Formats: sequence, C-alpha cells, structure tokens
Amino acid sequence: MNKAKLKRMTRKTEFYMLIVLLLLCVVVQIKSGGKLITLPGVFTRLNVTVLRTMVVDGMFAMCSLVVMISGGFDLSFPAIAALSYSLATTICLNNGWCAANPLAGFALAVAIGWVLGMLNGWIISNFKLNTMIVTLGTQTFFTGISMGLLKLKEITSTLPEGMKTFGKLYIFESADPASGIRFTLSAMVLFLIALCAIVSFMLNKTMFGRALYAIGGNEVSAERAGYNVKKTKFLLYSAVGALAGFIGMIRVCMESQSIPKAMIGKEMTIIPAVILGGASIYGGEGTVFGTMVAVGIISLVSNSMLILGIDTYWQQFFNGLVILVGVTVSALQAKRQKQ
Amino acid sequence: MSEYLLQMTGIDKRFGGVHALDHVNFAVRPGKVMCLAGENGCGKSTLVKIISGVYTRDEGEVVFEGQPITHITPAEATRLGIQVIYQDLSIFPNLTVMENLAINSEITANRRIVNKKRWEQTAKEALSKIGYDIDLYAKMGDLSVADKQLVAICRALLFNAKLIIMDEPTTALTKKEVDALFKTVRQLRDSGIAIMFISHKTEEIFEISDDVCIMRNGKNVFSGRTSELTKKDFTYYMTGRELEDDYFVPTNISKEPVLKVDHLTWNGKFHDVSFDLRKGEILGITGLLGSGRTELALALFGLGKINGGTITLNGQQVKITSPIDAQKKRIGYVPEDRLTEGLCLRQPIADNIMLSSLKQLTRVLGTLSHDELFEKSNEWVKKFSIATDDAHKHASTLSGGNQQKIVLSKWLNNDLDVLILNGPTVGVDIGAKQDIHALVHDLANQGLAVIIISDDLAEVVVNCNRVIVMKDGAIVGEMTGDRITEDHILEIIR
Repeated sequence: MNKAKLKRMTRKTEFYMLIVLLLLCVVVQIKSGGKLITLPGVFTRLNVTVLRTMVVDGMFAMCSLVVMISGGFDLSFPAIAALSYSLATTICLNNGWCAANPLAGFALAVAIGWVLGMLNGWIISNFKLNTMIVTLGTQTFFTGISMGLLKLKEITSTLPEGMKTFGKLYIFESADPASGIRFTLSAMVLFLIALCAIVSFMLNKTMFGRALYAIGGNEVSAERAGYNVKKTKFLLYSAVGALAGFIGMIRVCMESQSIPKAMIGKEMTIIPAVILGGASIYGGEGTVFGTMVAVGIISLVSNSMLILGIDTYWQQFFNGLVILVGVTVSALQAKRQKQ
Repeated sequence: MSEYLLQMTGIDKRFGGVHALDHVNFAVRPGKVMCLAGENGCGKSTLVKIISGVYTRDEGEVVFEGQPITHITPAEATRLGIQVIYQDLSIFPNLTVMENLAINSEITANRRIVNKKRWEQTAKEALSKIGYDIDLYAKMGDLSVADKQLVAICRALLFNAKLIIMDEPTTALTKKEVDALFKTVRQLRDSGIAIMFISHKTEEIFEISDDVCIMRNGKNVFSGRTSELTKKDFTYYMTGRELEDDYFVPTNISKEPVLKVDHLTWNGKFHDVSFDLRKGEILGITGLLGSGRTELALALFGLGKINGGTITLNGQQVKITSPIDAQKKRIGYVPEDRLTEGLCLRQPIADNIMLSSLKQLTRVLGTLSHDELFEKSNEWVKKFSIATDDAHKHASTLSGGNQQKIVLSKWLNNDLDVLILNGPTVGVDIGAKQDIHALVHDLANQGLAVIIISDDLAEVVVNCNRVIVMKDGAIVGEMTGDRITEDHILEIIR
C-alpha cells in the first residue's frame, strides 16, 4: 500500500516541480553567496521580494486554477481586476473615501468584479460556449469599458491615504547586513496564505470543489450524477470575478498606484504557471500546492536574475520556456492517461 | 401484485414530425434479464430515456411495482430503484475509484462537505455488493474498460436498484470480458434485480436474456420469451427482411500468392508468423485480444516494427516502411476504430471518400477540382448504396454501417492488391453487416486479396475461405473450407 502511494506521488507533476524549486533555491543560494536564506533570521531582502511578487501572482493563479480544474480557461480575470480597481479607486478618490482605511475601496472592487464575473458566468453557463472564446471577448470588452467608455485615469500620488498605509503594513522588518538598507515582509502575504487555505479546503473538502473536478473530468457524467452544472459554472465565474476585484485592490495598495493598463497580458504569465504546476489543459486536474510551487519557481527566477548577473531580457525567454514546458508536460500526461 | 416489475403500455413519443415511439408495449419481470434489441435509430434510446425520466412521454401508461406512475423525473426514477448505466459509463476518469463510487450518493444526499471516511465506507459497501475487489485509490482513467464497467455497476447498486438498464455494455469489451460481465449480470439477476440489456448482437442476446423485446422503426415488433424465438426469426424482426447467412464461395483464386509472409517477427508482439495469400481469397485472422492479430496488420501496413522475417509482394521481397509506402505497394488497411482512425467525422462524406486518392484529382499546381471530387464520390455513394441524400453532409450524419462503407470506398478508390479489414463490422447493425459482407465477397471474387481480422467468430466463419488462429503472438492453427467452424476455432484458442 505504501509503495502504491509512493508510486502515485511520483507520477504527479507537483512532485517534480517541487524538486525543481528546491534545486533552484540551492543554485540561487550558492551563486548569490547566501543571499536567499540567512540563519537564524531566515528573511533576506531577496526572499521577501520573492514572496512579495508571489502575493498578487499567486492569488491570480488561484483564480486561474479553479477555472482550469472545471475544464475552462479564464482569460478575463486580469481585465476584471483592472476595471474593478480603477473604477473603485476613482470613485473613492472622487468622494474622498478611504482616507483612514481601504474598506470602501475593497467593497467596491469586489462588488464590481462580482458583477463582471456574473456576466462571464451567465454567458458561459447559458449558451454553453467555449470558455476561452467567451473570456477573450469579455476581456477586450472590459478593457474597452475602462479605457473608452469610462476613460479611467491613472491614479498615483493622489491615491487615498487609507489605501497607501494599508499596502505598507508589514509583519517583519530588518536591515540588510551588508548595505544597511531596510526591508520588510509585506502583510499582504497573509492574504495569499489565507486564500490558498480557503481554495484548498474548497477544492478538497466541499462538494462544490469536487463538482469542479467532476465537471472538468466529464461534464455529461457530472450532470447525470446530479450536479447542477449550469449553476456551478455560474457560481464559479462570478466568484472568480469577485476574487479578481479583491486581488486587484490588494495590488493597488501594495504598489500605491492604480494604473488601468497595468494588468494587460497578465493572464499570459499566470495561466502557464498554473499549467506548470500540474493543472491539466483538458480540465479535472490541478492542486493548490502544485500551483504555488510553480508560482514560486517563476518569482524566484525573475527576482534572482539581477543577483545572478543574468540580463533581465532573459526573463522573456524564461517565461516562454515555462509556457512550452508546462503545456507539453500537461499534454503528454493527458495522452498517457488516455492510453 | 402483478408478475411484472415494470409495465409500459401504449407509450407514444413524437419529436416534431418524427414519430420516435409508436404505441410501444413493454414489460420487465423481476429477477430476469430482458433484452431490448433493435437496429440503430429504432427508438431504443428514446424508450430508455422515458424510463429514466430524461424525456416525458406523450401518451401511455407506466406501472412500476403495481403502482401507476404519472410523471417520471430522473430523481424519481432513482428513488424507485431504476438505474441506467450508459454506454460511456458516466465515470470521471480524473477521480479515484472511491470518489467515482461515492459521488452520486453524496450528491443525492445533498451533502456540502466531504467526509473521506464516509466516502470510503460508501465505496466499500458498493464493492461488496458484487464481491468485487479493486484499489479504491486507483485513478479511474487507468482502469480497463471491464473494470470501469464493474465500478459503474457497483455504483448503480448503491441506490437499491431494482431495475438496471445497461446501454450496449459489450461494445468495447473483448470476448473474455463479456463472459465476466455476463457472470456479474447473472449474479445480479439471481439476487432478484431485473436487468434490461440493450444490444444488437444476436449471440449475446441469446446467451444472456430470458425475455426479448425487439423494436423496429419506433414500434415493438416482438416481445416474449427468448426461448420461443429462433435466430432466424430474430434477424427477421430486427431488419424486417429475411436474411440468410451468405457463405463466401471463392470463384477466382489466383495460382500465385500475391502476398507471402515468412517468419515475420515484431519483438514482443508476434513472432515467426508465416502465411501466404492469393488473389480472390478472404483470409481470416482471429485470436483473443493481445494475440498479436492487430499488430500483424499494422506491421503489414508499415505501422509496426519488423525485427525479422520477410514480406514478399507479387514475387518481390519488399520492406514496408510507412502507410504511404504500403499504399504505393497497393495495400489498404481499414482500422478497428473507424471513428478515430479511419474517418474525419466532421468533414463532408465526399471528402472522406476521396481522401486517400486525392492525387488522382489534382491538376497542375496541386489544385483540386471540387466538381470532380463530388462526381467521383457520388459514384461510390451509388455503388455502395450509402444512405445519404447529399455527399456534402458530414460523415458524422451517417450510421455506423454507412460510415464503414465510406471507409471501404476510400480504399477501393485506389487500385489495391491486398485489403486488410480489422473488425469490419464492430458496432454495425445486422442489416448493414450483411451489406458489407456481400460487398467484400464481391470484391474478393473480382480479384482482390482480403484479410479479415476479427474476434467475431461467426463473421470469420461466414466470410473466410481460410482462417489463421493466433495465440500469444504466434500462429497456432490454420483451417480451410468446411473445417472452419466456431467450435473448431474456440478449441484452438482455449
């Protein structure tokens, strides 16, 4: 039985990705002269930056993961996030809200994201269309609303104080021993951890989560088994919309700016990461753990390049490689399963 | 209480202008196996969908366990103890066996939170119903079709099923797996469960069923005990015409063999296979799944790896390196799985027919003449009486038998010396089967050398003038003429 368990584990993509991540850590640690982790303090300027990049990317990856498990593709979540936070911050700014705390901004962004997500969900569940095509359409449509219809502007220095201070909250502070530069571990990491825990619980321990796997595995069977596929899909896409709005607002607070165009093309780095983490492009497969490992690999590489003396132009090359490797592995696995 | 578990009288259903079910009468006895037989499109699946509550009937009465049922919904059907095992088994290939077993009852119980212990318990209970043992944590997609089927049966039993409807359960199974399935079916029957078995395979129906209901064009043309029915009557009821087994009589066998295979070996698949084939012959190659019969065909078509031995075509020793090479050497192959390997379902019928002979149609610069393409393909449509009014329609609009005719005509368009047919009538109705057989007989008598690879022994016996039996990658027997009987073949295989 134990042997069977081990065999099952080694057949999973996550297992290999974890090995890759650990190897990468060792390489970066040695090449950078021990800058990735120092003992006993653990945190360094490098690793808090890696974690900081993981917050938004990791949370977005959760959006993408749940949709991919259900056998769909969501290309629109960055556009939803952008429209939600741009509109929400503009409203807050115009009304003088969020001077003390960002709650109103979050509430607005979530509400807007929810409405946009419902539109996705309604189209996908009612007309049974290809999710990639639908969200490609809504993505452009939402960006169009933000840029053309509402003409939302960049908000930088005038961003409400409440949002700025919230984004600067930290749970750990230290100084680099060599340069003396102060660094902090952003408190936003807690949101990432909480979201991972919630999504993981939802996927594994609730019937809704199992419904996503079931639908991704075989939609017709899921319907015959008694799942309300239409309702599940509607709920899924609206929840992802609301979540995208929330994540967008976190990003605004962390960056202390709201830029409507900042999210364009984001899906093209998130989706490959999710696939690399073991989610199947055909649906029905994927875990929170694998996804986070893959997001970790990508953040680690992109943040270590400078330290390792690699030209940042190579980042594009690396991202491209991730897409190719991830999709190939996923397709090969699906093929093996069919046989 | 009446003698019947389920009794349906005067069931009528129309879809727009189509009269799908015309006052069908139908009854199932508890603890018996009843076969619902009929050719494709006769209304079998519509009837099943009415029983399972997917469709609502327009007219007619349904009585279940003596109680009249006015309106059936899928949930109501489950509550009554009616379970349908669909042809695709309704499984989730990405989930574990345990989840596949438990998920339906969890949904029915309207659970929100997953409790692994309860799931495991449910799954174990399901497996214990037929005493079936399998790793609960194995991934469903990794199981064989037969195992998947048993899991689906166990799952159905969880709902205290009184009637289990199995929709063409034997389609993807080997003979051995069918025997195992029948054992389970008998076990269920003896425990008092009624089984409704949907099939169009004559042998199976006579082997397993107590009662038969035969449908044709939305009407039931026979219902009664299987023992009161002869195979001849059965075929008549199914097709509406008198069909006689039309044994192949070779009239045009050449002196010299067109194909000669000597000690051909594909390591791990088959070894030391030798035979020859003359023009005008139909050679049967049979054996169990895994005996090397399919691999032999693949090797002859350039899709295998030849480790030793020789192939001689028309007296010349040749190497066949690829399917294109095989075609150049005038060898054709019709694969087992015609849907995925032999046809482009979402392409017009005409394009499918002409697919492997486009070279004949190309003009300068490699352009195609569409008029010519349709003209030529229409010739085949007529010749094979393919049931379509327009060759522009997609191949998917045709029934299995007609699709098989397309695959055949595709090959016959090129002048062939040798045609290899792998399972030529799998999933094809009796009527269409006869047509295809007659066609192959004609082709052979016109001078084509044909190899039929099949595990349908009746098919081999009727159509071949010579039969080779394979077992574990080697030829274990060869017979000709009157010596070819099902019993004789079985004797060698076992």
